[in-house]
Amino acid sequence: MGYPHQPHPRESLVLSKHFGTPEARTLDGWKKRGGYQALEMALGMDPVAIQNVVKESGLRGRGGAGFPTGLKWSFMKIGDGKPHYLCCNADESEPGTFKDREIMRWTPHALIEGVAIGAYAIGAETAYIYIRGEFTEPIERMEAALVEARAAGIIGPNAMGTGKTVNVWVHKGAGAYICGEETALMNSIEGKRGNPRIKPPFPAVAGLFGMPTTINNVETLAAVPHILVNGAEWYKKLGRPDNPKSTGTKLWSVCGNIVRPGNYEVEMGFPFGEFLHEVCGGALPGRTLKAIIPGGSSVPIITLEEAERGLMDYEGMVAVGTMLGSAGCIVIDSAQSMPKQIARLARFYAHESCAQCTQCREGTAWTTKILERMVAGDGTAEDFDTLLEIAENMTGKTICVLSDSCATPVISGIQKFRHEFEALITRTTVHAVPVVVA
Amino acid sequence: MPTLTIDGHTCTVDIGGTILDAARAVGIDVPTLCWYPSLTSVGNCRICLVSVEGTDKLLPACATAAEDGMRVTSESHAAVRSRQGVLGLLLERYPVEDIPAAEARNEFEALVRRYDVPTTHRAGLPPRDGDARDGDPAIRHDMSTCILCTRCVRACEEIQVVGVLDVAHRSDRAQIIVGADGNPEHAGCTWCGECVRVCPTGAIHDIIPMAVRAGDGTMLERPRSNAMPPIDRTVRSVCPYCAVGCQLDLEVRDDTVVHVRSPWIEEATPNRGSTCVKGRFGLDFVQHRDRLETPLIRRGWVKRDGRWIFDATHDTASMWPRRGGPWELIEEEGQTRKRGPRSNPLQRSTSGIGPLGDPRDRVATPLAWYAPFREATWDEALELSAQELTRLRDTSGPSSLAVLQSAKCSNEENYLLQRMFRGGLGTNNVDHCTRLCHSSSVSAMQQAMNTSAASGAMREVEDVADVIFLLGANTTESHPVFGAAIKRAVKRGATLIVCDPRRIELASRAHIHLRAMPGTDVAVMNGMLHHILALGLEDRDFIARRTHQFDRVRAAVQPYTPERASQISGVPAALIREAAERYARGPRSSTLWAMGLTQHATGTDIVTSLLNLILATGMIGRPGAAMLPIRGQNNVQGASDVGAIPMVYTDYQPVTNPDIRHRFAQEWGVPDDRIPLKAGLKVTQMVMDDSPVRGMYIMGENPILSDPQVAHAEHWFRELEFLAVQDIFLTETARYADVVLPGSSFAEKDGTFVNTERRIQLSRAAVPPPGDARRDLDILIELSNRIGLPSPYRDAAEVMDEIARVTPSWRGVSHARLESHAGLQYPVHDAEHGGTPFLFADAFPTTDGKATFFPVEYLPPAELPDDAYPFLLNTGRQMYHWHTGTMTRRSFALDARESTPIVELNPADAAAMGVGDGEEVVVASRRAEIRIAVRLSDRVSPGQVFIPMHYREAAVNLLTNPALDPVAHIPEFKVCAVSVHPANRGQSVHSATTPLQATSWTSASPAE
Ligand SMILES: Cc1cc2nc3c(=O)[nH]c(=O)nc-3n(C[C@H](O)[C@H](O)[C@H](O)COP(=O)(O)O)c2cc1C
Repeated sequence: MGYPHQPHPRESLVLSKHFGTPEARTLDGWKKRGGYQALEMALGMDPVAIQNVVKESGLRGRGGAGFPTGLKWSFMKIGDGKPHYLCCNADESEPGTFKDREIMRWTPHALIEGVAIGAYAIGAETAYIYIRGEFTEPIERMEAALVEARAAGIIGPNAMGTGKTVNVWVHKGAGAYICGEETALMNSIEGKRGNPRIKPPFPAVAGLFGMPTTINNVETLAAVPHILVNGAEWYKKLGRPDNPKSTGTKLWSVCGNIVRPGNYEVEMGFPFGEFLHEVCGGALPGRTLKAIIPGGSSVPIITLEEAERGLMDYEGMVAVGTMLGSAGCIVIDSAQSMPKQIARLARFYAHESCAQCTQCREGTAWTTKILERMVAGDGTAEDFDTLLEIAENMTGKTICVLSDSCATPVISGIQKFRHEFEALITRTTVHAVPVVVA
Repeated sequence: MPTLTIDGHTCTVDIGGTILDAARAVGIDVPTLCWYPSLTSVGNCRICLVSVEGTDKLLPACATAAEDGMRVTSESHAAVRSRQGVLGLLLERYPVEDIPAAEARNEFEALVRRYDVPTTHRAGLPPRDGDARDGDPAIRHDMSTCILCTRCVRACEEIQVVGVLDVAHRSDRAQIIVGADGNPEHAGCTWCGECVRVCPTGAIHDIIPMAVRAGDGTMLERPRSNAMPPIDRTVRSVCPYCAVGCQLDLEVRDDTVVHVRSPWIEEATPNRGSTCVKGRFGLDFVQHRDRLETPLIRRGWVKRDGRWIFDATHDTASMWPRRGGPWELIEEEGQTRKRGPRSNPLQRSTSGIGPLGDPRDRVATPLAWYAPFREATWDEALELSAQELTRLRDTSGPSSLAVLQSAKCSNEENYLLQRMFRGGLGTNNVDHCTRLCHSSSVSAMQQAMNTSAASGAMREVEDVADVIFLLGANTTESHPVFGAAIKRAVKRGATLIVCDPRRIELASRAHIHLRAMPGTDVAVMNGMLHHILALGLEDRDFIARRTHQFDRVRAAVQPYTPERASQISGVPAALIREAAERYARGPRSSTLWAMGLTQHATGTDIVTSLLNLILATGMIGRPGAAMLPIRGQNNVQGASDVGAIPMVYTDYQPVTNPDIRHRFAQEWGVPDDRIPLKAGLKVTQMVMDDSPVRGMYIMGENPILSDPQVAHAEHWFRELEFLAVQDIFLTETARYADVVLPGSSFAEKDGTFVNTERRIQLSRAAVPPPGDARRDLDILIELSNRIGLPSPYRDAAEVMDEIARVTPSWRGVSHARLESHAGLQYPVHDAEHGGTPFLFADAFPTTDGKATFFPVEYLPPAELPDDAYPFLLNTGRQMYHWHTGTMTRRSFALDARESTPIVELNPADAAAMGVGDGEEVVVASRRAEIRIAVRLSDRVSPGQVFIPMHYREAAVNLLTNPALDPVAHIPEFKVCAVSVHPANRGQSVHSATTPLQATSWTSASPAE
């Protein structure tokens, strides 16, 4: 639903059905709404059977990369004699993304249930929910719900009386975007500096404390109970029939220059144009939309025209030259300066670079410096080449993709809105309508 | 094993090997910055990215596992472009204006050249921030050149296992920090210099400790290593401090050692290129202005009618008694007032340093000490020495002569010196400081298994041992490079059991700390063995096949239940049990010990009880089950091996055996009966009141300070008829000499040294001796000739050839073979034999190949605390100093670190006494008293105090108990009873301040 707005009739409410209903936060309220049936069911199943249901459902990771969740789970070798871990990634720090926050604020038990099922399905007795440190309210909600769930014996050493152990703990972040990267997240839980690790080894082989580990996003895990209760077939049917690769519903965080910013839940493949103009209410009065960053700040910027042709699923976004990412949709209208927006994004990445890799540490800082200089009106024609040269150095060469994420908006921004940068250099007025790149 | 091709070369690497490993194996130079051998690969610099067929992304060679069939191109267009990108980005914040046009100063600049990257700034980013501490006498940071490769962080954490450095902040503000508060001391830094060695840009560099003094005596600014003028040559040397035997590269400019560099980590040196603070920063004593440059003869000696006589009326000799001089006795100096240790030497700036601010001035030989001497020619000095030594031999008999050899001198020198006294002067009164350190280990090991050295190697302990049992050894301070290896072993998962009365650093890292009362080790060992037998954990097969007389020990340990052992030692019985079980279960337990076990009146018993434990559990003769007495001096093992002890020739061949004597007499060209068949006197016997010794020759030892009864020794040496001292400084002992022969430091001579694991290593001369000083070997050859023992050796290599001829286990040793830096671990049976890393796999070197058990009973130390002397005094070493301080107290960096004598006192005791940190106390024993400043430390238990042995002005051996071990004659340095009282602050015990004191260090106040 478009909380804090009323749900739009075109939304399909699964995860967000109870957003805005305080009672759903409590254990009783949650149970009344069918809570923990899925967990009870899951604890009676073979872990591999759960993996298979999730595989069958087509659920893909909602953290950004869209990796098939069931497949990820199947990398965990049940019964290998090692402790396994599940980490729920609730570090949600990607600019423009705030969907996990609402899941935790309104339906903490939904997440606990999903985490517990996920842990059981991968043979883990311990799960950590790594919550962004600034999320003070969600942390409180989650901790309160965990206290309830533990007291009720839903989780713990004898979860729901089945004799199975599922412990769930909250770990607070300390203010680093990079700790949302899965290997940095594990380092952070271990008490180390949150630097991403070199892969391989992949977490399923050597993750948290060196043991097999799965990392899943909040939204991913919150979807699992619904899949178990309603069946994989039901989930698969959500989405456009011609694209079986993207299934289910998706929460979109919408922000920026739009009439109704907020969270919306729609089926995969929803038409992006209709979404922007109808569901979210379109541009503010007297303005026109110019650019969209649909998947959180790390994906290529697209023009409004490109967006209007897009379908809101993994493949649909790729088709228009961008990515679904974390579905944090940043809407930019004609009143905004693109160079300024891009410089702001670059500054974010420069600030958040963990400083391990040369290209990222130095490249993000230098990129920001140039962009800010251009915004201040001191740019030169050579700056384009320099920016693209640095961006090339920053792409595909580092331990994690933070560096690429910084380069992406720069490259796409220069490509699509070069005239705005040029205008800053030559001090001419900015075109109101972007150049369409075929 | 995967086979891959790199640039067309096929290579195979071990499973888990990386592309980089493969490239290095076939000699392809893939550039690296953050990668360093033996450190964890973090892959952060991204310079080693290479192209791999079938992958569109470039892959980091250092962190990508080599796979079968991979086709790698190391210098593909994309890889080169990427490298140029990385270097360009790094250069943006590097001080490019400092890069010399002519040549690269460091690894990073070399890569910039190799990839032809323009050295201009485009970004205008600020230079990198970081630690900018000033005033550290050893290590400086210039973080503007830091490229954040984090090698220093990892080296500190992984090689030294300290963890002083880390990365703080993120983004472009990321920087290397030193400790949490910027104070390395608080973070446990010991200035080992590991960070300096691994830094690829010189961002962390050392200040050249070898500052030179200008003609007018002022200090020249110590140059920084990253701004150092080019050096003339690099010479491989062996560190002169402890017996780890670290190899070092001395960098020489203008015949001066200007810098110490570590050998490359992958070289097979015992230290793998690591050093400790002493090895890297403590070698400037070589150039100290106190170095003796001409022979000295005591005033009063005159040559009349072709003979030297002492005429007390001649010259100014009458100003002092026969051997006196314008100095205080050590006993007197012990009572002078002591300042507390300076708060933090690091906070002092060294830049505007004046002559008094140089700590070296405070320990410099007071000029007055030279007054009773006159400068002499070599001819005079050698003639007088030869005359007096032969005169005493002929008039008072050979046994009136004795020689103290040196564990600091080479094997060749020690061999020649004992040859001179045995073959030339006819006495076996030959000994050296091994008597004072491991003689009890040697007697115990000789008795049980006829051996005198370690059975295994340090590397085994680090890499293989499952359990490490460390007794009476403060390894991280006394043998820091080995201490770090033990810490690495613990990190790898080995179990560490420490038995030590003090809570030393390794005790705090140990799984079990047996905090036994000093001298109660026999009870602990017997208690452990009792428990092992009770559980049946002994190695019955080993006992049956390889040993004799186990039953005697079985019976002897019967009464030592863990409870009884606990009563005696104060160690909880449960800990004794746990230690016993872990040790016995091994499966590979290594046993390491040092002075804490040996320096007792029951030293031989203590080591014997430990050997019983080793033998009963079969923890010897297998890799990882090493028996390792950790030797002290850098050549204490070698000096003993080449016969610098009274009862044996080289290789521990007894002097009592006529056949052996015959062989040596023949080799030396002297009649058999010139050499007595009776063992000579040991150090501790030589200086007895009833000793027959009238004339002495001392090479490179300072017995007056190291003797267990300093006061007695000082008087005893003054009574000698003749004393010649060959040394590099006018030591406390040399000031009583008739003749002082200026010798050479380690850096000035070729020679071999044996480390604690029997590794013979060759050290090369880097610089000439100062002034007229001579190489020790040349002095000994000349003196031998003058005494009438022809010595036709041309160099040390020829002496080694002779040693190899007469020393069965060194038969295959020659200087030529030692050129390869790994050295040789003896036994080396012949010129082809590669040495023996571990001994006793099948048999012990006894007649039937078996070892023998000897039962031992616990005996209390000779002197225990009582009402009058309620504290137990323990003595030993500190990290920054060495023995009597002759070298370290003349090293700028070391003495700046630890410049005053201290007594470690438990805070509880200090509170009861009402003294605070840095305040002065009087520590008194039945023998003497000293004034000394307090250092509060919970490393010592209440009721115990610890005083290091390094300080003349508070010589702890004034206090120690001269009680001797009946077998080894090692003194009980580790236990005596003392009282501790706050010093009367109002008045000095020693009120009259002589003008002399103004030049001695105790009263000179540094410019603070
Ligand atoms: C710089 C960076 C930041 C990230 N931050 C988040 C985050 O805040 N939340 C999240 O779920 N995933 C984040 N990810 C993605 C995670 O690495 C990981 O792919 C995800 O948690 C996997 O969960 P999923 O399979 O359920 O999507 C981030 C990745 C990168 C490179």
